[in-house]
Amino acid sequence: MGRPVLQIENLKKTYRKGWGSKPVPALKGVSFEIKPGTITGFLGANGAGKTSTIKCIFELSFPDSGEISYFGEKGLSSSAKKRIGFLPERPYFYEHLTGREFLRFYGQLSTSLKRSDLEARIEKLLVRVGLSHAASRPLRGYSKGMLQRIGIAQALVHEPEFIILDEPMTGLDPDGRLEVREIILETAARGTAVFFSSHLLPDAEQLCSHLVILKKGELVYRGETKELLGKVERGFRVVWSEAGVQQTRDAVTSAELQALIDSVRAKRGDVLEVKPLRLTLEEAFAKIAFDPKAERI
Amino acid sequence: MKSIVIIATNTFREIIRDRILYGIVVFALLLIGVSVALGSLSFAEQARISANFGFTGIQISASILAIFIGSTLVAREIEKQTILTLLARPVTRSQFLVGKFFGLVLVIVTVMAGLAVVVAALVTTLGLSIGLPFFVALYGIVLEALLLIAVTLLFGSFSRPAMTVIFATSIFLIGHWIGSLDAISKTKLVSDSFKSVSRILVNVVPDFERFNWRSAPIYDTPVPAIEILNSSLYAVGWLVFLLALTSMVFRRRDFV
Repeated sequence: MGRPVLQIENLKKTYRKGWGSKPVPALKGVSFEIKPGTITGFLGANGAGKTSTIKCIFELSFPDSGEISYFGEKGLSSSAKKRIGFLPERPYFYEHLTGREFLRFYGQLSTSLKRSDLEARIEKLLVRVGLSHAASRPLRGYSKGMLQRIGIAQALVHEPEFIILDEPMTGLDPDGRLEVREIILETAARGTAVFFSSHLLPDAEQLCSHLVILKKGELVYRGETKELLGKVERGFRVVWSEAGVQQTRDAVTSAELQALIDSVRAKRGDVLEVKPLRLTLEEAFAKIAFDPKAERI
Repeated sequence: MKSIVIIATNTFREIIRDRILYGIVVFALLLIGVSVALGSLSFAEQARISANFGFTGIQISASILAIFIGSTLVAREIEKQTILTLLARPVTRSQFLVGKFFGLVLVIVTVMAGLAVVVAALVTTLGLSIGLPFFVALYGIVLEALLLIAVTLLFGSFSRPAMTVIFATSIFLIGHWIGSLDAISKTKLVSDSFKSVSRILVNVVPDFERFNWRSAPIYDTPVPAIEILNSSLYAVGWLVFLLALTSMVFRRRDFV
């Protein structure tokens, strides 16, 4: 699969709110990596350390210790920045710029494309995020959803190999979320690695092949989504018919399942369906993030 | 270099599209207008008084722009979080600061050029001729504004806009009184502690009066070239020092 686009090792960060105040640990030795071409969800409750991690990745905040490598090289070089796109949480952009000027500004900063090539790319992107009609309007007149879409467009304007999106779907209506979801899938289909933090777990479950989960500044899970969902067994749901009446019961273990089927047969009932109960990401996340006993999965 | 030009252009565009700028320009025009009224009170010196007020108007508006807009240059980027997407690009923090600096310089030079045309038209109508001293006086105001932006940017890199305005205004005022302060501290009239504080201030605050050539066009007295050269080098030295210091302060700042 190639070398990771991002590798974080033992990242620690402590914040002080003011002079003499007690230090608050935000990250307590977080390590994970992002592989090329994957969509990785970055999950955690509020204050878990997601935005702190992302800020450390872009050196917007400096870690106390730990190492971050980009495309196999340590340190955030200018050439690494050219290969990464970023959409921050609650994006506020230059309101005085029009949509097209805004993309041109970031495009000029990140690429050495000829003006005409950059303009062509901008027009293509505007179509892709559905903002061609508003390209000449100042951003101050954009709705929240439009800002989010132009924000994603600025993250993609230099055709990065890796994009980091901090809460890209927060505050969007279902249509807006669907659009952002499609853009993420389309971007990943082109080979770009996507790393996004989100509170919207159904979206993360649908999109992400991999997950990184933080809890109170500590890493509690990193790996494939399907592996996480398969780790906690929920058992099976058995539907059967007995004397013309349909009944349902859950069996947690295989032994319980066998016993239940045997008992239905003994009563001359017909087993209609045996369905494995899959853990949803919402349930798995709740177990990890909010269960005080669940330290790590 | 490319990043600095792009950021400077964006900063220029941002300020030019801001209504605050036009408030300051209207204020400057009113001040120049008042100069005509005041000048008319004097029978013999109308042109000189008007020119004096005109240059003062240009200097005050350049200083207001440098302090008030300069104080929000960095703070606004942080408050609106636009700095996050900007620094995630191949842009260093120093390039960001220098870009912001030149963006505001461009605005001030543009506004000054406009006001200078108005003052030039005014004094020409009143019978004064426009020669080299006129441009030397404008050049002095530009140098002063450059230093003032750099001072404001330094304070703005670590404090809130209101505090930045207070700090920068203080430096501006002290910088204009340095000559007097130095002279007073050498007399026997003041205490030793006053002398010590004065000596420190004279050494750590730029002398803004070095760029005051505003009387040259009024009395048509040329400013020696060596004085212009020395003051220019003095300004460049301070600018390099202040921008380097601002970069150092800003380099390890966390954007929480």
